[in-house]
Amino acid sequence: MSELYLDWNGSLDVLTRAYNAGLFTIIIGPKGTGKTSLVRRFASLVNKELQSVNFSLRTRESHLIGSKTLDKGEINFVEGILVKSMKEGSLLYLDELNAAEADVLLRLDEALDDRRQVVLKEAEGQTITARQDWSVIATINPLSHVGTKELPPQLLSRFPVRIRLEYPPENVELEIIMKHVSKIDDSKLDDVKRAIKLSKSLRDAAAVEELYYSPSIRETIAFTRLLNTDIQPKKAAEIVFANAYDQWGEVEFRKVMDMIISIFGD
Amino acid sequence: MLHNEVLLDIATFLSRRWTNNSNVQVFIKDQKMPITRPDKNQISLPRPHYFPGTDFQRYRQWRIMLWYEAMRLTFCSKVMSYDHIFGFLLNTIETKRAEILGLRSWKGMEKEIVFNEGISWLSKPLLNTLYGKHKIAEAFSQYFLTGSLKGELFGSEFSRIQGGAARANEILDYAITNDQGTEYIELRIPELVRILELNSLASFPIITPSSRVGFGRSVDEKGLLAEIEKLVKRKNLEPAQSVKRSKEIFEGHEVNAEFNALVKESKRSENKGQEGIEDLGLTIPKDVDTDESQIYDLDLIQRTKSQFKHWTTGWYEKHEETGDEFDPETFLERLSRTFITDFKLSYRSKVAIVLDHSSSIEDSEQDYKRATVALCEALKFLKIKFGVYAFSTESGQVRCWIIKPPSANWTRIHARRLAQIKALGGTPLAEIYTLLEPVLRSFKPDLVVTLTDGEPSDYDAVRRMVLTYRRLGIRMVALGLGRTLNAAVSISQNLQYLEYEKSLAVSMLGDIPKKVINLMQT
Repeated sequence: MSELYLDWNGSLDVLTRAYNAGLFTIIIGPKGTGKTSLVRRFASLVNKELQSVNFSLRTRESHLIGSKTLDKGEINFVEGILVKSMKEGSLLYLDELNAAEADVLLRLDEALDDRRQVVLKEAEGQTITARQDWSVIATINPLSHVGTKELPPQLLSRFPVRIRLEYPPENVELEIIMKHVSKIDDSKLDDVKRAIKLSKSLRDAAAVEELYYSPSIRETIAFTRLLNTDIQPKKAAEIVFANAYDQWGEVEFRKVMDMIISIFGD
Repeated sequence: MLHNEVLLDIATFLSRRWTNNSNVQVFIKDQKMPITRPDKNQISLPRPHYFPGTDFQRYRQWRIMLWYEAMRLTFCSKVMSYDHIFGFLLNTIETKRAEILGLRSWKGMEKEIVFNEGISWLSKPLLNTLYGKHKIAEAFSQYFLTGSLKGELFGSEFSRIQGGAARANEILDYAITNDQGTEYIELRIPELVRILELNSLASFPIITPSSRVGFGRSVDEKGLLAEIEKLVKRKNLEPAQSVKRSKEIFEGHEVNAEFNALVKESKRSENKGQEGIEDLGLTIPKDVDTDESQIYDLDLIQRTKSQFKHWTTGWYEKHEETGDEFDPETFLERLSRTFITDFKLSYRSKVAIVLDHSSSIEDSEQDYKRATVALCEALKFLKIKFGVYAFSTESGQVRCWIIKPPSANWTRIHARRLAQIKALGGTPLAEIYTLLEPVLRSFKPDLVVTLTDGEPSDYDAVRRMVLTYRRLGIRMVALGLGRTLNAAVSISQNLQYLEYEKSLAVSMLGDIPKKVINLMQT
């Protein structure tokens, strides 16, 4: 899958430079802009194992550090993903970091400062020091997203390289779609372009809080795949884009349908 | 049938998306020609009643008109008044240019354009009922836009019209192929005026579409269908299926679903009590052509939001401001690893805000409104449920205005309601509390904040009402607004005698949001 990533704004280059300089990177951008694909592509380029954590309000300290288990009367310590990746010197990917709770962030901060160490109070105070080639990449969603909080400045400063990932321009989005959908009939190309335009318009509306949801590139890819099953473009757009807005009431749904009607025609 | 605010909401959404410009503002002005101001990103529209036909047909024409105006905003740098020949001719050519360019992106509007052309053709005036320059200009517009003429022309008139339309088409083609805009066409209007033998500055009477067929009269349905069929054939839209296609266009199912949703939404907002409210003596500000952007102070809104940011983030940062030079790194190293403090907060979730709009507030009316808007934006940001009410005097009568009912989400439409209230009259607080009682009994706020700068007309009555509310378990707080700190303090001291649980003083209007929001923390 990672080969499918299209590096349209030179992010891979920035990531490589940061990695070579031993700096941690944070990627900021709305969902569906290819943050995860970018990191996967990078990991395969530098030939590193990727350890990922996807943060949510439910992520606990023990997921990162580890926990004690009782096995045949013996107490063992099972290492969490942070400890494991520090020891192995792999690439640690912290996805949606700003959805994490304060106590989780606190433990992370310990590992991320210049000493690159954690003290395992869970395992007799053992100190874990990261291997020289250990590296970390984090992503955060913009604050408008549900469940996201502002990242404390202290933690932000642990990631001195920051990459902004926006939705790509329309022509680049088309190229990305082409990479994901093996074959697009020439006759359908115009409809795909229209769907990209529609997405952009809906994203603009969500940015000014006129709508509550902003479609990602995943949706334009899904639209194109549906189109390949010979469905009417207007119908495909209704299924992929408009129906999602019904949860905020019929008027919201109709507003999006109006965009679809005026863009697609018959 | 359709509520102005529902219309405004959909029109704002559609125009912004169609123009790809999130700054577009839409105003609704009754029975006035639509007018677009590209320099100000503004579109003014009449209500759907401006058009003839059934409610649905009217809505369709209204929607397509909005699209044309949105396209004008996108492609034209200038829109002139229609009431003189020069402006009329320029706008006519620009309408067609905007349509051609607009259809490149909004292909789906084609059917609605056919419908619009069909229905407006029926209400176009017969040329033999017009005279002189008016007749020639109207004939030119008909012939240039549709290729047909309604009624008869005499003598050399037709050749003038043909010559004019041919030249106008050349101008238009050149402008489109060579990416030329309004300026290019404007420079060529005098030439067109010469060909048509008109006078640039001659006035041109504007007749609204519904008055042409007689106000309120319905459209001849058969005639309309026949007209649409003619257009479908002429435009060559799927010739093999022209009958089916015409019927589809005539019925307009796709837009019908949208229309029905809007009708339902209008009814829903009426049921929310907007209608019954009139009986209680409360009023909803109804103007939809007020510019609310003047009371939007983005700086103040941002400042207020960031002041209360920690209410939503769950942590806040503290900075040492005195003592030795502060180095955060060493400070944090010395700490036992707690640079984040969990911030447990509980705040009251329901608030009603009562705004004094008496004459004494007039001097600082705009600042006062800006502060209120910032307060409302911040309350929305903090997800606090709130209602906003204001009072003033209008033609000798005390009015209690509903700016935002608690059930609605704060939008710019509510700001628009606030913007149109004129500060006038006294401070009849007791009457206002009485008027609001039924509304507040059903809303059951935890807190009622009254912002006022004056002394109430009847102390005893106010005291009684404040106690009534307090007995309902509502916390009553007054905010005294004064021009200077001393004035504010003395007003708030006076308010203290009125049995409010708390009375505060504000002399800087920008502090209002902060003071009010702080009241909500328990």
